[in-house]
Amino acid sequence: MTAAFSQEAVKTFLLALADDELMLGHRDSEWTGHAPVLEEDIALSNIAQDELGHSLVWYTLLQQLGGNDPDAMAFERPWKEFTCCRFVTYPKGDFAYTVVRQYLFDEAEQVRLRALAHSSYLPIKEAAAKILREEAYHILHSKSLVERLGDATEESHRRMQAAVDAAFPQALGMFEQIEGEDGLKAAGVFPGNSELQLQWLHQVVPVLSGATLRVPVTEANGSLAVRVAPDTGGRRKDHSEHLRQLVDDLQAVYRIAPGARW
Amino acid sequence: MMDTQFETYEVFHQRKKGDPHVHVGAVHAPDAQVALQYARDQFARRLPCVSLWVVKSSDITATDYQDERFFNITLDKSYRDPKDFDAPAKEPTE
Repeated sequence: MTAAFSQEAVKTFLLALADDELMLGHRDSEWTGHAPVLEEDIALSNIAQDELGHSLVWYTLLQQLGGNDPDAMAFERPWKEFTCCRFVTYPKGDFAYTVVRQYLFDEAEQVRLRALAHSSYLPIKEAAAKILREEAYHILHSKSLVERLGDATEESHRRMQAAVDAAFPQALGMFEQIEGEDGLKAAGVFPGNSELQLQWLHQVVPVLSGATLRVPVTEANGSLAVRVAPDTGGRRKDHSEHLRQLVDDLQAVYRIAPGARW
Repeated sequence: MMDTQFETYEVFHQRKKGDPHVHVGAVHAPDAQVALQYARDQFARRLPCVSLWVVKSSDITATDYQDERFFNITLDKSYRDPKDFDAPAKEPTE
């Protein structure tokens, strides 16, 4: 460790990671039985399970730091206690929105995990390396759909552009500052959200532009400037009604018989 | 009505290096690369797998079930069969 940092800050950081994965996993699972083709139905259900698995990894680390067990974290917390970004809480929309959201999330997860694989905090470092192996497939899937649907037909382009317009400001909310972030940065736990956002922009802007999709980003002298306000608030537990609906749905079965063994 | 289905690709699955690729089914996909991804989801998630092939179904040339003569063997050719000794099953390569 290069500098002291508070364990509270590590917990805040882990909770944000875990809650993001849980909510996106749930939204992806809403396609099970409803995707436009059977093959995508299976692919999205598979990805949903993977994201839930990643949330379990982060919740387990939290538990080792004295937190509640993962089931309690997922199924017993009131919706106002989650610290996921708003981005992952919005309804699944049409297939274009789901593809764009998944792609923007996957790229963010890539840059974050690559950074965390060098974290000074050993448990995070080890978990990141493990998740990274699975994420390589996610990015392959979502990126290849973005590249194909961006300019496949007039309708696919129109829907994908609408999805990017809606999702881009929301996606910036993934990089909302968390409490205690400066201490974590100084200690080398992770490089900080503004650095991750910058790395993310350098990944997504060329891919979306290459797929003929406009992004609200201006490029000047090799640096990228975002022209839209980020949709933040989630890290401060300032959520929309969409999260209430999601958590009601997510916890409905558990609430019938709390603590039941399956 | 216009056919909005993707083309189908036949999927061949290899359990381990040296084994033959075995036909396991088919996927609908817009192109071969995506077909490989869908094949991975459907046939390589639970089965152990080291390699997948996908082949456009329309690229396969096949015999016709109606054309029985194609396989007809009328004369007794049992003298050709290696029936008087046991051939061992092929040893695994690994």
